[in-house]
Formats: sequence, C-alpha cells, structure tokens
Amino acid sequence: MKRFVVLLAVTVICLYTSNEVSLAQHKHHETKSTSKNDSSRAQSDKKGSAIDKTSADSTSAPRVTDAKAAASIKDIVGRYLDLKNALANDKTKEAAIAGTALEGAFKQFDKKDLTASQKKVYEDVEDDAGEHAEHIGANAGNIEHQREHFDMLSKDMYDLVTALGSGQLLYKDYCPMYNNKKGAIWLSEKKEITNPYYGKKMLTCGSVKEEIK
Amino acid sequence: MVRSKKKLSKLMNRVRQLLFALLVVFIVIQFMQPARNESGQAVQPDISNTYNIPDTIYALFKNACFDCHSNNTNYPWYSKIQPMGWFIERDIENGKAKLNFSELGSLSTRRQMSKLQEVENRINDGTMPLPSYKLMHHNARLTKEERKLLVGWIEETKDSIMLKRTIKQIQ
Repeated sequence: MKRFVVLLAVTVICLYTSNEVSLAQHKHHETKSTSKNDSSRAQSDKKGSAIDKTSADSTSAPRVTDAKAAASIKDIVGRYLDLKNALANDKTKEAAIAGTALEGAFKQFDKKDLTASQKKVYEDVEDDAGEHAEHIGANAGNIEHQREHFDMLSKDMYDLVTALGSGQLLYKDYCPMYNNKKGAIWLSEKKEITNPYYGKKMLTCGSVKEEIK
Repeated sequence: MVRSKKKLSKLMNRVRQLLFALLVVFIVIQFMQPARNESGQAVQPDISNTYNIPDTIYALFKNACFDCHSNNTNYPWYSKIQPMGWFIERDIENGKAKLNFSELGSLSTRRQMSKLQEVENRINDGTMPLPSYKLMHHNARLTKEERKLLVGWIEETKDSIMLKRTIKQIQ
C-alpha cells in the first residue's frame, strides 16, 4: 500500500509539472508573437547582466555585433540562389540548410541604408519570405513542400530585388507547368535554365523572361 | 501447491493495486482541463469579413478547417475526457499557429496570398484535414466536388486581392 501511495504521488507530480511546462511554453510563445522587442526584453531581464549591454547599445554608436552579424541584400540573394540550386539538383537537405540560412539573413538584414519606399517593400516582404524560408528549412525530406514555398518565396524575392537592387545581374525565369499549369517564376544568376521546380525530371524546361540589373 | 497459490494471490493483489492506481490517476487528470478555444463572436479580421465568401463555401471551411484553424472550436463530447482533450488542445495550438481563419484579415495582403495558396495546396494534395480528424468528423471528409469549389473560391479570392493590390500601387 505504501508503494502504491508513492507511485500515485509521483505520477500526479509528473502530470502537474508537465502541464505547467507546456503552459509556460505557451506563454513564452505568446510574448514572442506579440512583439520582438518584448521577447528580447524578457530575455535580457532573465539574464540580468544583459540589461546593461542592451541599454548601452541603444545609446552608444555602432554596435560591435552589428558589423559581424549585419547581412546585406547580397547575402539574402546569395542564400536564395543556394536554395534554388539545391532544389534544381533535387537535394532536399541542402535546400533546408539554405532555407535556414536565408531566414537568418532576413533576420540580420540592416535596413538603415534603405530609402523610405525601399523600406516599405522590405518590411512587406520580410515576414512572408522569412516564413517561407523557415518552412523550407524545417521540411528536409519533403522536397515538394519545399518547392511550394519556393514558388511563393520567389515572388517575394522578385519584388525585393526590383525595389532594392541586388548588386548582380539576375534573370527572372519562368516555368509554365508548375502549379497545375498556372506557372511559376524563379530568379537565377545564370542565363541557362536549371529548373528548381522539377529538378532532373525537366531541368532545362523554362524560359528567361527578364534581366534584372 | 500452497506456496504457488500464495504467490498467485500476491500477484493478483499487485494487479489490483495497479489498476486502482491507474483509476485514481485517470480521475485526477480529469480535473486538468485545458482552456477552451471559444471566443464566441467573429472578430473583425475574420475570413467572413475580409473576403466576399458565399455561405456554402463558408460552411465547407467551417466543417473542415475551423476546429483547429480559428478562434472557435466546435468541441466533440470526448474533448472533456482527458487525455483526449489534451491531444485536441495540442492540435488546435499547432493549427492556429500556422493559420487562423479568424484573424486572416489582420495579415498583410502578401501574407494573405501565401496563406490562401498554402490552403489550396493542402486541399489539393489531401493532407488537410488531418486523417485523424477526418476519422471522427464525417463533415470534414471533402468530396471531389467540394474540393473543387473551395479551390475555385481561393483562386478567385487571390485574383481579387492581386487586383486590389495593383490598383493601390497605381494610385
């Protein structure tokens, strides 16, 4: 009987703690989604020592971490092209790695040199493209799902490079078959077609629609 | 013989204890009810306020998607029995994090387009609604015609969003 009571106590405690943990995670998630500032503040509050750091950052001139972490439009385009090439080679794992890297490049992008209208485009694109990149990163092994998000991501990327420039010559390519023959675009650094939507199956299928300088 | 009988009765005792313990645990967990996903009224950015949506289409979405992808879940009776309620809660939390029809209108038009495209893809490839959900919800099993209707509506809606966006850009 003693044993039974102990067993019961342990299970009840376990259940309660697991419930509390999931609740705490939920709350954390909520603060995360409400605003980025809030969550970073909460984090620095936890660490304590980090508070001085962040307040110093906002008052003093350029942050040390910025020089290293800041990503340019070249980084974003570069990671996108890595992703495009991985998909054209049917490599789902490499695509996932490039997707995660692209998500990171969006997060670290420095907006301070943008004009007002460029900033507007960037901010519109950022959330959407970041989410697609995240999904591609999380779906290694499901290349068709990665390609679906690549389709939507490519539209974002086109809007982004036409507004901000990319520092390199890009081609807007078109695949008429994808999306139940509604068609899909992608950006490429080379003139020859390597189709990221079908890979080996139809690697050279598609056409150049536009040159973006 | 006597010894083995003794052993047997000891074992039976153990089993009885274990079953009793399980029963107590089962009763205790019934008191840990997760919060319900029921906001009552349709909020402003709800899909019904954001787009022009016919009642038939709305009903299809409601039956097939809203339990996990909106602020109002139509709970089955067994949701009040744990641990079933916890599993349901987990699905709702995951579902709403990815797509919430009750708040679709609060997203930028670019993200609305992406969300609608994703809905279309999931309906087309049949991965949504989830098989486990369809098992318990007859109404969520979409027929070919129903899928066609939904996809057609999504296509129309995407076109009208694009049109509005282009008009805005020109102005």
